[in-house]
Amino acid sequence: MVVRVEYDYVNARIKGMKSCLLNTSVFETLILKPDVESIITEMGNTAYKDEIEKASVQYSGIRCIEVALRKDFTNAFRKILGYTKGDTAEKYLKILLSRWDVQNIKTVLRGKNIHVTSAEILECLVPAGELDDMTLTEMINQPDVKAVIDLLATWGIEYSKPLTRHVKEYVEKRDLAVLEYAIDRFYYENALHAVQGDSYDDSLIKDMVSTEIDVTNIKTVLKMIRDKIETEEAQMFLIEGGRSLGSEKLVAMIRTGTLEGAIKHLETTPYHFLSKLAGEGKVGMISVYEKELEKYLIKRGISRFFGDPLSIAIAIGYIWAKYNEITNIRIIARCKTADIPEKELRGELVYV
Amino acid sequence: MVDWGIPIGAGIAFGLGAIGTGLAQSKIGSAGAGTVAERPETFGLMVVLVAIPETMVILGFVVAAMLMIMLK
Repeated sequence: MVVRVEYDYVNARIKGMKSCLLNTSVFETLILKPDVESIITEMGNTAYKDEIEKASVQYSGIRCIEVALRKDFTNAFRKILGYTKGDTAEKYLKILLSRWDVQNIKTVLRGKNIHVTSAEILECLVPAGELDDMTLTEMINQPDVKAVIDLLATWGIEYSKPLTRHVKEYVEKRDLAVLEYAIDRFYYENALHAVQGDSYDDSLIKDMVSTEIDVTNIKTVLKMIRDKIETEEAQMFLIEGGRSLGSEKLVAMIRTGTLEGAIKHLETTPYHFLSKLAGEGKVGMISVYEKELEKYLIKRGISRFFGDPLSIAIAIGYIWAKYNEITNIRIIARCKTADIPEKELRGELVYV
Repeated sequence: MVDWGIPIGAGIAFGLGAIGTGLAQSKIGSAGAGTVAERPETFGLMVVLVAIPETMVILGFVVAAMLMIMLK
């Protein structure tokens, strides 16, 4: 039975969890550490203490940090899901966390497509959604893309539907974008379909999902222009339901044929910050635009923390703040492993 | 004849204050329990915060008592 959620208790716990997130001074300390081992020692003094201790029994170096972060990230979200079990907030949280299911499936498919080792794929996964460690490990152990899809279908996992429908096309074209687009579209359509009400919570989730659709569409358009894909074909990879960018605007962006031209179309939209990058001489570097879009999404998500304290806004803010923290720690640890200078490391951080 | 106006007025003053306090304490108590679960060191502060709405029912009681005593 679905009952009305008591946000006062849940949100108080989430706010308590948010107060344990690392502050700027801890990040400064981590950045100034000389190597990964000293980062592990420093993290032993933070909220990551338990997971770092458990991971350090089996692993060392960057692997220890990766395992601890992944476990902590998963635990945090499982904990929140546990508070909301059986009430309407669970539906909203599942929509938000399914984002990581889609991301994980795409990561496994990409890994299998280019024959990356299972260990490397596992490092990139974030089991924060409904697909747990066991399911993901079994997916990784499959020999190829088709076997992964077959496994999902056998286990009755809903994401197998769009993948099964497009697997033939993938085999013919050997283009993974076909499957990635299919699963993205399936997720976004389902998410928007689930939040059609007029409530404040529905509008918050709708806003986040439609912003993500915009960001995904912009990334797709930029890639299509870079790869010089025909407008008609590129159009097929656009997802309906964006917040500020309709299909007409996106098609107009593709028709310009250049990255500068496409970015210019965004000047009157909330994504106008991308045109500033063009002015800084960063035209042509799609990864720079992708990073800025990711930053925008994270900032927008975190800003939800200042919404109605008795709504899903607090959970949205926490999920993004936690994601931001984990991403930044990963960046710091990887940069230290690769011996990247401090200045460049600071440039790589998503948002502190 | 018995004048029911004063006791009814006193009852309303006390009763509404008590309902208000109950509603406020239920929300604060619930949020307080969540906060203490995550950060046990905030227990003392939470006890104070949960007690604050008591002022409403105390004021209601004072008004009710004044009505009963002074308007006899």
